[in-house]
Amino acid sequence: MSDSQKRILDLLAEKKISVDEAQRLLSLTEPDKDTGTRGPDDTPAPGGKPRYFRVQVQPEAGSGKESVNVRIPMALIRAGMKLTALIPGHASEEVNEALREKGVDLDVRNLKPEDFEELVAALTDLEVDVKGGKEKVHIYVE
Amino acid sequence: MNYPPLLLRLGICGQRRRFSLWLPLFLVWPVAAAVAIVLAPLVLLLALILWPLGLGKLALLSGPLLFGVLCALRGLELNLNRGNRILLISFK
Repeated sequence: MSDSQKRILDLLAEKKISVDEAQRLLSLTEPDKDTGTRGPDDTPAPGGKPRYFRVQVQPEAGSGKESVNVRIPMALIRAGMKLTALIPGHASEEVNEALREKGVDLDVRNLKPEDFEELVAALTDLEVDVKGGKEKVHIYVE
Repeated sequence: MNYPPLLLRLGICGQRRRFSLWLPLFLVWPVAAAVAIVLAPLVLLLALILWPLGLGKLALLSGPLLFGVLCALRGLELNLNRGNRILLISFK
């Protein structure tokens, strides 16, 4: 059961929403077979390539902030990487400069699809949990 | 083989109203393909003209690469949830 579903049931238990409303909300959060939130069996198989990059932001209950659940296909990131081939030379230099100002020493002209595949392979075991302030951020691949 | 998303699901759930929409993107792709075929000679011409300026490659590759991005949208999902208000955007 996802956090969203738990929150809806909590709201129902607190009688803040009606049964009908809870049913409607639950139907919207119901995970499809291929789009559901992560369960214990969603971890990529050893050696299997991760297909999605997930970012979940869960606020503290009652904080009034919104929870965010984003699923980005790895193919979209790959396609984005290929778009770097379209960046003209002078623009690459400006991008590099902007990245350096942010403390990232990276030359976008050196980014190659092979590097990305290596990065994706390394991401398989990635799981980041950040809890700060009134929200919890969970980043993982599946 | 990758192919573009066929459906876009938009779901909005407010305190009183629920709104769920399945947009048939598959109806758009044949039209887009026809437009792309019609424009292909023009793009080739543009690429030839822009080649000396170093922008020919950009003109030639931008179409296929953007199509790749479009295909890769399949599976993208965004779910925003605030209290009992929910916004869902999902490419299928």
